[in-house]
Amino acid sequence: MADKNIPMDQRELMTLQNYLQEYGQQAEIFVQQMQMLESGRLEAHAAIESLEDMLTAGDGTVLLQIGGGASVRAKVVEPEKVLLAIGAEVIVERSNKDAVEFLKERILEMEASQKKVAETLDRLRAQMNEINKRIEAGYQQAMASGQDLG
Amino acid sequence: MFGGLREKLRAARDRLGSGILATAGMPAGAKAEKVPGALSPGGAAKEQPPSPSSPAATEPAPTAGPRFVDKVRVLITEREQKDVADALSELEMTLLESDVALPATDAIIASVEKNLVGKHRKIGESVDALVLNALKAALLDVLGAGFDLREYIRKHERPVKILFTGVNGTGKTTTVAKIGDYLRKEGFTVVIGAGDTYRAGAIEQISVHAERLGIKVIQHKEGADPSAVLFDAVQFAQSHKIDVVLADTAGRFHNKANLMSQLEKIKRVMKPDLVVYVDEAVAGNDAVTRAAEFDRTVGADAVVLTKADMDSRGGAAISIAHTIGKPLMFLGTGQAYGDIVPFEPAQVVDELLEGGS
Repeated sequence: MADKNIPMDQRELMTLQNYLQEYGQQAEIFVQQMQMLESGRLEAHAAIESLEDMLTAGDGTVLLQIGGGASVRAKVVEPEKVLLAIGAEVIVERSNKDAVEFLKERILEMEASQKKVAETLDRLRAQMNEINKRIEAGYQQAMASGQDLG
Repeated sequence: MFGGLREKLRAARDRLGSGILATAGMPAGAKAEKVPGALSPGGAAKEQPPSPSSPAATEPAPTAGPRFVDKVRVLITEREQKDVADALSELEMTLLESDVALPATDAIIASVEKNLVGKHRKIGESVDALVLNALKAALLDVLGAGFDLREYIRKHERPVKILFTGVNGTGKTTTVAKIGDYLRKEGFTVVIGAGDTYRAGAIEQISVHAERLGIKVIQHKEGADPSAVLFDAVQFAQSHKIDVVLADTAGRFHNKANLMSQLEKIKRVMKPDLVVYVDEAVAGNDAVTRAAEFDRTVGADAVVLTKADMDSRGGAAISIAHTIGKPLMFLGTGQAYGDIVPFEPAQVVDELLEGGS
């Protein structure tokens, strides 16, 4: 990159802008991944809460959301047995307790992934800040030396 | 990379080992007892020969004749399916939970079972080694032979034309740049065709990469016909005696008929030697399903999985080659250009089964 005292030319500024745009796109993808992980994590927490409540719900009546904000009262025939998607599009029957354990493990996995993605995102943002600073400095130098940046 | 799967495989390995030790009536010690719910030695104990550590086995040689045979039987035990059934079932769950596709899981289980059941363990061969080798063989079977791109280029007429396809946002353009850098370092000359004329900023993105790496890019304007761009890239490579053409294309979903027919046209025009499907390892089984769809519609000769460093399960990497019958060529492992590794099955298996915790 350009030395602080040597004015940056227009081409270098454009390259830096391109870098910034590229990093921005990458960061956007990681932000989307973070959001997906977070919604997966919250969903798993909600499922755990429902599974645990189902066991203590007396006659087993629960509110079943059917979309559009509508819910019906439904009776869970076997709250002890849960059909669980374990991965690879395979669904197995597990006991309520085992299903809760499985979901807790998944939450831990998702939290570990979130941590990794967040670290990568931090690195990307630090690089973007650095590029932003360079661009800013480049513009100021150009303005000072009367270059046309049009 | 694949840390979660590595830990689960280690537990499965211990469990298989304890099952075998329990059947052999060996004093499995801490190892067998450590695993909760491990195969109960109780059932097999009725048929078990006396333990070598029992007082009878330590009697003087003249009376030790039949007991010596028993002792050998303990060491060279013949396992039956039931001895490892529970542990195999647990291994099956472990693989499925790691998003390893069902056909690949079935193949791994069948292979481990074949290698453990009814086989003799020689004196001196540890149970751990026996289980390790069975798991290694099973994983290697499923992972296939990999794909050595350098070797392929050396054996083929130049320029070797490689077309990259895949869905949106999986890191295709970055992968093209990384492979360009890898090939350049391996001594090949490379040109990149900026065939993603659809996504805003894609041409600039690949140009920035190429400029950083000192690789020539052939590009047209945004919205131009990608077939024309890639045709020009091939023409450029032929006239400048360049070894490899890397053809970037726009990401597309396999169910978009118009975009898939555009890919067909690109194939007709540039006649690629290799069609490489790019997807992200973190997509797990979805990546396997999509790769199979792409293979059915436009064909695929090899696969690259990106973001493998973010993937703790390893499901896609383990099952993709077996499920679609096409080798895995590279794994993307980070943000830098050098963060791409040729997929070498033996190395991956070693890392999964013997790598550090």
